[in-house]
Amino acid sequence: MSTNSSLDAAALVRPLRLRTNLLWSLYGVWYRHVRVYCKTLLANATPPVLEPLFFFVAIAYGLGGFVPTSGFDGLPYRSYVAAGMVVSSAMFTGVFETMYGTFVRLVYQKTYAAMLGTHLRIHEMFVGELLFAASKGAVFATVVLLVTMLLGAQPTAWCVLVPLVGFATAYLFACLGLIITSYVKMINNFSFFATGVITPLFYFSGTFFPIRGRSALLDVISVLVPLTAPIELSRALFKAQFTWETLMHLGILFAYGIVLHIFALRRMTARVLR
Amino acid sequence: MHNAPVYAAPALVVARGLTRKFGDLTAVDAVDFDIRPNECVGFLGPNGAGKTTLMRLIYSAIHKTAGELSVFGLTPMQQRKRINARIGVVFQENNLDEELSAAESLEVHALYCGLDHRTARGRIAELLDWLALTPKARSSFRELSGGMVRRLMIARALLNSPELLILDEPTTGLDPQVRHTIWASLRELKRQGMTILLTTHYMEEAQQLSDRVMIMDRGRIVVSGPPNQLIEQHLERYVLQASGLAEAPAVAGDIRHERAGDADYFYSNAEQPLQALYETLPTPYALLRHANLEDVFLKFTGRGLHE
Repeated sequence: MSTNSSLDAAALVRPLRLRTNLLWSLYGVWYRHVRVYCKTLLANATPPVLEPLFFFVAIAYGLGGFVPTSGFDGLPYRSYVAAGMVVSSAMFTGVFETMYGTFVRLVYQKTYAAMLGTHLRIHEMFVGELLFAASKGAVFATVVLLVTMLLGAQPTAWCVLVPLVGFATAYLFACLGLIITSYVKMINNFSFFATGVITPLFYFSGTFFPIRGRSALLDVISVLVPLTAPIELSRALFKAQFTWETLMHLGILFAYGIVLHIFALRRMTARVLR
Repeated sequence: MHNAPVYAAPALVVARGLTRKFGDLTAVDAVDFDIRPNECVGFLGPNGAGKTTLMRLIYSAIHKTAGELSVFGLTPMQQRKRINARIGVVFQENNLDEELSAAESLEVHALYCGLDHRTARGRIAELLDWLALTPKARSSFRELSGGMVRRLMIARALLNSPELLILDEPTTGLDPQVRHTIWASLRELKRQGMTILLTTHYMEEAQQLSDRVMIMDRGRIVVSGPPNQLIEQHLERYVLQASGLAEAPAVAGDIRHERAGDADYFYSNAEQPLQALYETLPTPYALLRHANLEDVFLKFTGRGLHE
């Protein structure tokens, strides 16, 4: 077993130069999640790729046959749905990562307990986590974009910005996921939020059909629902048309992001330190 | 409060009236102590005595409720980053990344500690070698024995070359060979100048490693000092313990007798009267021995269950 030679031990206690700055700390946390995620890439990444694929085929091809050829909102229906689905896949990626993923790390794997023994600040742990969720969102939004492109959606050159929209969307919803997780005591409680909050967003934020133009109240609600802004931004990229409304949606996305970010970090700090 | 002797080197950790409550439960109750550089201090106590909570206060994992605490002259929580850059923690429960191999698990932790990739690789190779884990570098944590996992946890705590190493029950549940190897490694680190805090409920561990022990019970430090001094100060030199006696024999005035459950304890500073008593006992379950730290521990924390 251990040789414990004094020469070796003397080397063990020599001072090391440590990078304790914010960027390196965030990178450290992000890197951990990437490493662990890549270990189980095939099992992890298959559902988020296949599910939108099935959905797209069923909706854009199946239901799309009954939609007027002019499509909606100035987009052919396949492009209309594709623009919604790149964003909704980023939403699911972000929110599920910080619901189930974070909960498992918090309660079962004790990942944060281990991080608490290092110099990492609590907010560095969770911003690193949010950045990982957002990176995954960017990747899956891109994958969905490519798959829907192969299946007949017609993106414009502006769609090179889809990863950015995916990143921002996933970040926003990962903040929401952290807030939910901070309240949850048992992993089963998540299904309530998944069904009660996330699924309605998916169906009623204009992913498959235009919400607006039915009543004034619905119009206001639809603008304020957090998934609407990124979907509208994605549509703007698919249409290559940017108006003052695009700017407003960008503003809404950032406003939501900042508020949820602050709240999420406060909640998780309280949860981890208790 | 114990009266700490005055030493030249400034204390690394200073606690005064340090208190932590969880609701109605006072986990750490107004404790006072100083930890000096290169000391190894063992916190001994039954489960629930507040040892782990105390360690968590030192490495800024929870807020204190009241009192004062300084580590390296800095304030925990407020200066968490500066303090913890100089601390290594070996946790009671295994929180290694299950999906990763031993070396990968150390690598991700090295980055949290602030090592760059290259320094991390070199450091990991050294630590795995020192703890005889090199052949297991690529093994997943499921393929490791309990002793290997524990050594890996120690390797992880040493990645940032800490000045203060905190070990929360480092050898609980391990076989004697592994425990002795780990103790040898810890003594080596101490020889190299490291300051070590450990919690344990193994008396032997405390006695083997600690310059001083602090016996905790219900959140308080009930007694503290060097292990041998504690035994000398608080107990007679010899103990005769016997179990299964129908009735305790009458003893002379220089023998102190205690009964707990079905066990009898006879204490004396002289061996001879206990030896004489031993020969008269009608039970095979009797043992004459030197008083040890466990006797001190039980004297201060009681023989009943702490549940």
